[in-house]
Amino acid sequence: MILDEDQVLIKKTLKGEKKAFEELMRKYEKKIFNFVIRMVRNEEVAIDLTQDFFIKIFTVLDKYNFEYKFSTWAYRICYNLVIDHIRKNQAQVNSLDDDSISTKDMLSSDNVTRDDGFKNLSREETRIYIWKIVEHIAPKFRELILLRYIQDLKYEEIAEITALPVGTIKNRIFKAKEILKQEMEKDGLPV
Amino acid sequence: MACLSDDKILTYLDGEIKSIEQAIIRDHLLICPDCRRTTDSYAELHKILAQPVTSEPPAWLIPQIMKRIYPEIPKYTSIAALIAASFIFFVTWIYIYFDFSKNSLIKALQLTADSTSGWLVNIIKAISTIYNSVQAAFKACNAFLNMLLNIRLGGTMIIAFALAFSGLVLSILIRLLLKKPGAEK
Repeated sequence: MILDEDQVLIKKTLKGEKKAFEELMRKYEKKIFNFVIRMVRNEEVAIDLTQDFFIKIFTVLDKYNFEYKFSTWAYRICYNLVIDHIRKNQAQVNSLDDDSISTKDMLSSDNVTRDDGFKNLSREETRIYIWKIVEHIAPKFRELILLRYIQDLKYEEIAEITALPVGTIKNRIFKAKEILKQEMEKDGLPV
Repeated sequence: MACLSDDKILTYLDGEIKSIEQAIIRDHLLICPDCRRTTDSYAELHKILAQPVTSEPPAWLIPQIMKRIYPEIPKYTSIAALIAASFIFFVTWIYIYFDFSKNSLIKALQLTADSTSGWLVNIIKAISTIYNSVQAAFKACNAFLNMLLNIRLGGTMIIAFALAFSGLVLSILIRLLLKKPGAEK
């Protein structure tokens, strides 16, 4: 059986090589942290959950099946951890599916609103603004956008992680893009 | 051809449409400015999403996780040295405390020294002297502690030794359990 780079590191970790697990963490740290922070929208919680994720991975590493891709297995664990957290703390998480809250209200708390109504944003500012909107769309859309674009995963991989059918994932990502486009148009963004 | 739905445009941009249909859509986009505008805006959105704004995790995050996963535990050699040292200390203490010197090793060494000459005598005398000094010091400490604590030092020493020894055994067990990935914490 030919092992990929991640699986070689796992083998070494299982043999007790500390450095191997550190390398594995360094490889996934940024992607995991960015997924988590955009899902929970709180840096402290994101740090705690990222720690919990890596400790969990280490704890169950001996149960990893080498026939599957490590990244998919790891993202599934991360996804479940985050979804569990959101379910337990649902009351604290507002999103765009809550009609009582407008996008601008939510974004104003993140200091991304502008007096000129967003009409003269540079490309970089537009990028930051859109990613801020992503943070505020409903979790069921947000999680898929994040898995697709932050983790750079294919629809089939996302289906394995979320246990959703590929068709549903595509529909939700399309819907999320429609929501984003509508929000941008509402704010007069030059898209 | 009727105008394209948003779903159709998004599927087209995802490249998941058969080539014949793709050609039809391309032709339609050439003649329909509304659909072209919508397609361009989705394409722009797709480009922006493909370049996520990322946050840097704190630099201390991985070192902290490493500390939690691999807690600092004394190395095997130092544990073995501690066990050996405790054992030697314990034996020495029993030897001195119960005053075995009158009829055991020291006595035997003294007798040997009496019937021998040369460098061996000096070595045995030196050992004997050191041993007697340690014994005297120990007895003085013992008496002092007895006076202060009003308990028998022997019992205290045995408890202290038992605690130290079980602590060492425990630390070896913890090390064995924690070192392996997959160990439940």
